[in-house]
Amino acid sequence: MSGIQLILLTGVAFICLYFVIRVRKKSVDLFFLTLMIGAAIVFIIWPDVTNRIANWLGVGRGADLIFYTSILIFWFVILKLYTRIRQLEKSFTQIIREDALRKASPPSNETELPNDAKQLRTN
Amino acid sequence: MVQAKKIVVVIPAFNEGPVVIAIVKELLQHQYIPVVVDDGSVCSLNAELRNYPVYFLRHQVNLGQGAALQTGFEFAKRLKPDYVITMDADGQHHTSCIPHLLQPLATNEADTVLGSRFLGPGNTAIPFGRKLVLHSARLINYLFSGLLLSDAHNGLRAFNNTALQKINITENRMAHASEILFEIKKHGLRFKEVPVQVAYTAYSRKKGQSAWDSIRILFDLILYKLFG
Repeated sequence: MSGIQLILLTGVAFICLYFVIRVRKKSVDLFFLTLMIGAAIVFIIWPDVTNRIANWLGVGRGADLIFYTSILIFWFVILKLYTRIRQLEKSFTQIIREDALRKASPPSNETELPNDAKQLRTN
Repeated sequence: MVQAKKIVVVIPAFNEGPVVIAIVKELLQHQYIPVVVDDGSVCSLNAELRNYPVYFLRHQVNLGQGAALQTGFEFAKRLKPDYVITMDADGQHHTSCIPHLLQPLATNEADTVLGSRFLGPGNTAIPFGRKLVLHSARLINYLFSGLLLSDAHNGLRAFNNTALQKINITENRMAHASEILFEIKKHGLRFKEVPVQVAYTAYSRKKGQSAWDSIRILFDLILYKLFG
């Protein structure tokens, strides 16, 4: 086993551990995680597999194929995150707005008004 | 002069000081009801506005002008006004334009009246770069909303109660100006543009948006169309 394989496998192990600690119970998430981790392990231990798939898809090298698909996956993740952020912003705005409306201060009392403002009101 | 109609003026303000006070004073002179929405300014405007008979709301954190406007609208609904005006807090707009905005509402020609700095004479002082950005913006607005206006992102607007109840701004930042057009279209509101004066003072130019901000607005718009 080469050095890069060890580094990558350790990385995969850490990601796996992090996921387990976060205890994501949604079965869809778990399914995709197992799929991704499984594929990662297979590709790391037998890199030739990616070469064969790449050739079959008309891409020169396996590493290139992985690179292209990662770009797609990253775009997907970014868009997912954006929707999350927008949702968060929506609820955040709602909370701030409700707070502002609750604390809204009415026009100050007539007696507290300085002379020019009093005059304005009587005009 | 006694104002027969109840007219609420929503002023979203972020880090504005003396200029807002000046606007508020002027509005009070004309019997308008100012609602100042402080959008999380570093120094709360409350201390300065306390001496004036105005409604004051404050966002705990800065959300953006769109959010401040919607908060102002929500509050305005409680006051049950006949008409609602929105106005920038940087002194770009003249209170003397308000009667022109109200005219089409009073004659029931429109539900929404939008101020336009490109209609009518007297606005030759618009900086060239600004013109370029605004004209591109109105074309983009047209592509997105199907409404071709003579101006884009003019903060001086008037709404009657129908429009007030229907329009809901969810774009917190500057893309709200386009979102208002989407809302007009979606709810089938009647709208009209009227010429207004926009003053380009050193202060307002400093406070206003750069051409670069328009890229950000475009990005927000695309996201809005993608994710709603």
